[in-house]
Amino acid sequence: MLIEANHLALELDGISILKDVSLHMQKGEIYGLLGPNGAGKSTTIALLLGLYRADKGSLTHFSGQDAEFVSIRQRIGVMPEFAGFYEWMSAREYLIWYAGFYGGSQSPPDSLLKRVGLSQTANKPIVQFSRGMKQRLALARALVHGPELLILDEPTNGLDPRGRREIHDLLIDLANEDKVGILLCTHLLDDVERLCTRIGIIDNGKTVLEDDLEHLLRDAGKPRYRIHMTNIPEGHLLPPLVRLLEWDGSWWSFEIDLPHGRDIGKVWEDLLVHGWSFDEIQVESNSLEARYLELTGSDKPDQQEKAA
Amino acid sequence: MNASSLIAKKERSALLQNQRGLAWLLAYAGILSAFALLLISNQELSLLDNAQVVYMMAGTVTAAGALIAVIMGSDAYAGERERGTLVPLLTAPISTNELLMGKAIGLAGAWGIMYLLALPYLWAVGAGGQNLGQAIFYLGLFGTPVVLGFGYLAMALSARSGSVMSSLLTSLIVLLFSASPLLLGPGLRNSAVGRALDAINPFSGALNTYDAVIIDSDPFMSQLGRLVLVLLWLGIMFGVARLSARRPAIR
Amino acid sequence: MKQLKYLLAGCLLLSATLVSAASLQLQLQPDPANPAHPTMGDWMHFDSVITNSGQQPIEGLVAWISLVEVTPGKEQPMDLEDWSAHKAVTGTTLQPGATLNTQWPMRLIQNGDYRVVISTTDRNNKTVFTSPTLQFHVTQKPVVESTRILPVALGIPLLIGGLFGVQKFRHQHKVS
Repeated sequence: MLIEANHLALELDGISILKDVSLHMQKGEIYGLLGPNGAGKSTTIALLLGLYRADKGSLTHFSGQDAEFVSIRQRIGVMPEFAGFYEWMSAREYLIWYAGFYGGSQSPPDSLLKRVGLSQTANKPIVQFSRGMKQRLALARALVHGPELLILDEPTNGLDPRGRREIHDLLIDLANEDKVGILLCTHLLDDVERLCTRIGIIDNGKTVLEDDLEHLLRDAGKPRYRIHMTNIPEGHLLPPLVRLLEWDGSWWSFEIDLPHGRDIGKVWEDLLVHGWSFDEIQVESNSLEARYLELTGSDKPDQQEKAA
Repeated sequence: MNASSLIAKKERSALLQNQRGLAWLLAYAGILSAFALLLISNQELSLLDNAQVVYMMAGTVTAAGALIAVIMGSDAYAGERERGTLVPLLTAPISTNELLMGKAIGLAGAWGIMYLLALPYLWAVGAGGQNLGQAIFYLGLFGTPVVLGFGYLAMALSARSGSVMSSLLTSLIVLLFSASPLLLGPGLRNSAVGRALDAINPFSGALNTYDAVIIDSDPFMSQLGRLVLVLLWLGIMFGVARLSARRPAIR
Repeated sequence: MKQLKYLLAGCLLLSATLVSAASLQLQLQPDPANPAHPTMGDWMHFDSVITNSGQQPIEGLVAWISLVEVTPGKEQPMDLEDWSAHKAVTGTTLQPGATLNTQWPMRLIQNGDYRVVISTTDRNNKTVFTSPTLQFHVTQKPVVESTRILPVALGIPLLIGGLFGVQKFRHQHKVS
């Protein structure tokens, strides 16, 4: 077990920031930590890194092999939400300097910079980097010592779609090939659905859900789709797997029982074959989003955010 | 290279390779140059006793050094936090004590550079006069704890508050308050309150020592009390910084 | 009434004469080791001898040194703050015939013509006795020389400015 946190509670300056947070993470797992602004995600990460000490609850890292945070941090790579650097240094200089804290870089800085797509700008002063380039450098910094656990706070902020995809692929590689555990803190549910195997949702300082993503999606019900069409087919014959829910005059709502691994495109083709000649498709509700909205925002997150 | 040395190395490069650090050094040299140029452009000042000029330059170096130390100390934690570079340091495998030691060594290094920069100025205004060597020695002995003490005070406030502005303002107020007896004039300084303030004020302690050893050629032994005062100041401020840096503000 | 006034004046005169019966003699000499042509920054010492030449002991004697600038056009009393830390002798008792020898050190801070004088008085006597004055000339010596200051005051900021430029160039060079 990489992280085993049970019922953590934390009070800062008399304000209860975390009330009951639990988090369990295995090796090679990509864990999505979700929650509204001010729910306590960043504080949870700070607590996991030993920047705060929990008032209540238990926390062990790496199955309790290390007790001291200084040695625990030796095995963790962190990418904070706000990626700051000493901007007079070049990317290469910075990585070499930062690797010094870990007794040197595990892989050569140049290959690391190449891995995050910064090989062309390795000698450029960081002050000239765009936000996306800084995000990539922050990821390289987190990887500089070959960590067993990677904690990433909004890692794809500021990245263009191609850059985002590249980072996704890199994270999947790290988890699958290097068996790095990745704790991903993000607001982007698309990222979570694409990357994570397990998620935890925090709301108002409490863990309201911790589950495997596949299990969660299975339980959350099927996604609903809406199609827009001008000609209504006679007899309303439907292809297999599709269940008609309602019609509001121009839009039809469907539920599709899509088996795992089956391409949704095939369903649309079947619908066309059955005479449903639609001109637009909308996903009415994403099941993770629906579950997230259902579980969060019960209390007053704004108040929490102010307190934080 | 251990963690403290790495931090100190970064602090040195921040001063000598970063344009902002060089701008602070330029400002420091500017203060000393302005004072030196005033001495030759003003006839009354140019005729001042040699020892008096050296004493004034030593005082200016200490004041300017303390000012830069306060600025650097305020930036040490809060500036890093505001620029997003504190969390990567805190999440690296280093203890808060190592981080503070690195910062403290960095500040001492910066004062070392300022001290070296002051030497040509002291030579320029005091060569051929009395007690130039004494001035250089006592500037190191008394100026160092005073300047570093102010830097560590600012560092403590910076770690505690997480705001450069608030730690800078508070430290500057303390620095001004420490320098105020010197601005009050001899009449007020000779009052009971003035004497009491002088007795506990490290800044006055250093300046009074400069006065005694450079102008009046007093022996070292007569300055032991003031030496204890400035060393106590340094020790207390470092202790305060250590306490504050145990859990620096990150939010 | 007029007679009473004369009587009162006579009493006052008598009492003043009795009080001023104390008598002091003051001598002031430059120290033989003083520089012949003093310049700014030099030290000078003045030796005074105060003798109680009266019949009564003198208690609470105060003796002090004064410096007056007599440079033509700049005649003024000087503040001894920067010139001397030894400005007075106080609380001494002098028996009849006894003497008090004092050395007065002085650092020459400004150029010009000066006169130095020692004055005394005591607790009971309203009279102030003064020594003969000593006059001396202090030659100007500019302590701060532009030949040393200008290169340093301009050179060091230029040096740091140069370093600033080098860093900027290095950064630009790295980019290209």
